[in-house]
Amino acid sequence: MTDATTTPFTILGDPAAAACEGDFCEIPAHHEQAVVNRRLDEDNV
Amino acid sequence: MSNSIKVDIWSDVQCPWCYIGKRKFEEGAAQFGGDVEVEYHSFELSPDTPVDFDGTPVEYLSQRKGMPVEQVEQMLERVTGIAKDVGLDYDYDHVHQTNTVISHELLHFAKSKGRQLEMKERLLKAYFVNGEHVGRIPDLVAIAVELGFDADEVTEALESHRFLADVKADVAQAVEYGIQGVPFFVIDGKYGVSGAQEAAAFANVLAQVQSEREAV
Repeated sequence: MTDATTTPFTILGDPAAAACEGDFCEIPAHHEQAVVNRRLDEDNV
Repeated sequence: MSNSIKVDIWSDVQCPWCYIGKRKFEEGAAQFGGDVEVEYHSFELSPDTPVDFDGTPVEYLSQRKGMPVEQVEQMLERVTGIAKDVGLDYDYDHVHQTNTVISHELLHFAKSKGRQLEMKERLLKAYFVNGEHVGRIPDLVAIAVELGFDADEVTEALESHRFLADVKADVAQAVEYGIQGVPFFVIDGKYGVSGAQEAAAFANVLAQVQSEREAV
């Protein structure tokens, strides 16, 4: 993630998009739900 | 002056979202359809990691973050699933957790030869898919030779750390820009896009830049 108060750029796009900060990589909730949905599809649940 | 839209991307070789984001950006650029010029910049997510970390990525994250092994395994499983959605077969069972600074030096070496993009893709694949070591000079030289670079020239460049200052300059630039996470995309020098966005988001930003240029 980036500090919008210090960056010289106009920030566009989804502010919750997945990114790695330090040695930790966040997984946004919508990504987790997408994986769950795919598994359900694969399992024909 | 080129009409291409310049995209500067800060990224690390061992960043799972950077490889996923690369694929999504490439798809977005294809949807946009115009000329785009990409330049990668170095970002070290974990510069204090030893070259030869004695353990798996699961153990590394568990130790560093104090997270239970099971929780880390589930997290990596989810990332692997998301990577699969964009056609990438992450293999965390064979990933070598390491320090990536020399791989960044190799990226700058490749950039000096006009072949940075090819090297970036190869190093990400080496780390996440092939289970290759991207922290040791002999392993990196082998990867470079596979791409057709001269072994002696690459070895000299990496052993002398001739490109280390370029790596550190990229990192310093990221700090100056307030970039705290990667991937981070700077588009046309004025728009910032953080993270592995959906392809359509990248396409929209590129189209916005194009229309702004045409309106001038």
